[in-house]
Amino acid sequence: MMAESITIARPYAKAAFSAAKDSGTLDQWSEMLAYSSLVAKNENMVVVLDHPALTSQQKASVFNDACGDKLNEHAQNLAYVLSEHGRISLLPEIANLFEAFKAQLEHSVDVEIESAFDLGTEQQEKLAQALTAKLDRTVNITASVNSELMGGAIIRTQDLVIDASVKGKLAKLAEAIGA
Amino acid sequence: MQQLNPAEISEIIKKRIEKLDVSSEARNEGTIVSVSDGIVLVHGLADVMYGEMVEFENGVYGMALNLERDSVGVVVLGDYNGLAEGQKARCTGRILEVPIGEALLGRVVDALGNPIDGKGPIETTLTAPLEKVAPGVIARKSVDEPVQTGLKAIDSMVPIGRGQRELIIGDRQTGKTAIAIDAIINQKNTGVKCIYVAIGQKQSSIAAVVRKLEEHDAMDHTIIVAAGAADPAAMLFLAPYGGTTMGEYFRDRGEDALIVFDDLTKQAWAYRQISLLLRRPPGREAYPGDVFYLHSRLFERASRVNGDYVEQHTNGEVKGKTGSLTALPIIETQGGDVSAFVPTNVISITDGQIFLETNLFNAGVRPAMNAGVSVSRVGGAAQTKIIKKLGGSIRLALAQYRELAAFAQFASDLDDATRKQLEHGQRVTELMKQKQYSPQSVAEMGVVLYAANEGFLDDVPVNKVVAFESAMLSYMKAEQAELLATINVKGDYNNDIANGIKAALETFKSTQTW
Repeated sequence: MMAESITIARPYAKAAFSAAKDSGTLDQWSEMLAYSSLVAKNENMVVVLDHPALTSQQKASVFNDACGDKLNEHAQNLAYVLSEHGRISLLPEIANLFEAFKAQLEHSVDVEIESAFDLGTEQQEKLAQALTAKLDRTVNITASVNSELMGGAIIRTQDLVIDASVKGKLAKLAEAIGA
Repeated sequence: MQQLNPAEISEIIKKRIEKLDVSSEARNEGTIVSVSDGIVLVHGLADVMYGEMVEFENGVYGMALNLERDSVGVVVLGDYNGLAEGQKARCTGRILEVPIGEALLGRVVDALGNPIDGKGPIETTLTAPLEKVAPGVIARKSVDEPVQTGLKAIDSMVPIGRGQRELIIGDRQTGKTAIAIDAIINQKNTGVKCIYVAIGQKQSSIAAVVRKLEEHDAMDHTIIVAAGAADPAAMLFLAPYGGTTMGEYFRDRGEDALIVFDDLTKQAWAYRQISLLLRRPPGREAYPGDVFYLHSRLFERASRVNGDYVEQHTNGEVKGKTGSLTALPIIETQGGDVSAFVPTNVISITDGQIFLETNLFNAGVRPAMNAGVSVSRVGGAAQTKIIKKLGGSIRLALAQYRELAAFAQFASDLDDATRKQLEHGQRVTELMKQKQYSPQSVAEMGVVLYAANEGFLDDVPVNKVVAFESAMLSYMKAEQAELLATINVKGDYNNDIANGIKAALETFKSTQTW
């Protein structure tokens, strides 16, 4: 269950985050967690992690070996702690939460913009300015093109969705007539 | 379905398009992480409110019930077969509402007020939230007007007042619904609007109720709110609240309304199902911790309100009229066990109960009310004078009879006084029997009670009492219509009326036609 795994992952992410903050290694930790979560999702690694015959120590050392020299001593210790409770597979959630904490600290937010046509840099900048004002955060925009929208754009950030697409308006119209 | 011509249709569409707001909207969105029987867990939806409607991708709505740190538990109000993990769910910013108003009378609607009787859309623009807070102490007025159920046994021994909550409790097949339906039929031409909320019943049972009400011209003042056995548990859980909202409309406009919940056991079951699926901790009989509140907040809304409240509510349109919503909740017990969780809860919340028993029902006593344990805590103040005066001794006669009957089975020869009491008790028991769908007026009841009190039955054989009663009433209707009409106007009782009844009954008895 996703909601539950997030609940379980939160204390680990918090611990990693405060450790990283205190030692001033936020970016390094962010990279390490991103890398290790990719490793944790690897098919072969999943087999190892679920293996009934291996001890948690063994699983953690296999995991750390697989990550090679990408992890520092602290991150390797995190793998041991997680492994002790059979929770290495939570690393992707931990990494996500870590990024969320980091973004909060840095006062930034990721924004996805889906538009019907390619946005020029000028338009993107305009949007970025408007969104910075609205959200009171610095925004990191990821833009994509989706011709299904027919016109306009959909802006997504965390839970908030601003729907200014023709498709969304048509859906609203259909609902109003059908009701 | 109602027929609409093309011009009308385009007019409706035009109106709807005019109202459409095409500005871009900002909304809160989440992702479905799990779907189980009617319950959906959504990740995200950070701004959702408790009880808010949530819209799913396939257009189905849900209601947010569990707000947790990382997820929101939503009950689906409709078909959840199309929902899947990964789909989006979004906030609507609205809470559940039902349509209200006069236009609902005569209609059959579902728990959310959508018509299901095929008679076209409901012509009302008024809506009100499903869950409302009950009027406070300042808005209340004490109960002092009766709701006549038309059943002798109930109106004389456990009278119900307008604004009262009187529980009907008993095992299956003891005539619980029959009492409620008789009460609804008897509200014809009294101005009391009725709402019958069917919860978890078979569609065929609901259809039978509707047909019976139509047969007795009782649909014109009645709304049926139906959440059948096949509907989602959320609908069963919500139906009583929806029905109450519809009833409150009449109460708040200075009118009187009567609502029947048939039955609340099934609503509690539905709520238990939802709660367990939402993983709320189970308590006694696996019900969640808030079943008491589930029912208490519902019954609190059945109340009598004073004129000031009505005036304020209608912005001065209706002045000097009190409003009321009377509730007749029904609870089904298992094997006569009234000490189960839900029955004890509801007994403690309501202002009295009508207790029906299987062995009485099988012995032919219908309504199968146990007069010993049935009570009405406030109805006495609301009884009409004549019934109050004449009905008092009925209860006593039955109580004495019950005591003696057990004892008389062993003793072979009894003294005269005891035998007399026994015989009187037998006759009163017979007299309290009443056929379904034949409610009596106050005057008819008065005459019957008078006959019992003044010994007119003493020389009538026990097995002839029912025949005597019907012959007596048809005589009274034919010969003494004026007297009956006078009694029915106010339900007064004085020497003139007593003498009138006495004279009439003496003449009737001399005819010996029963």
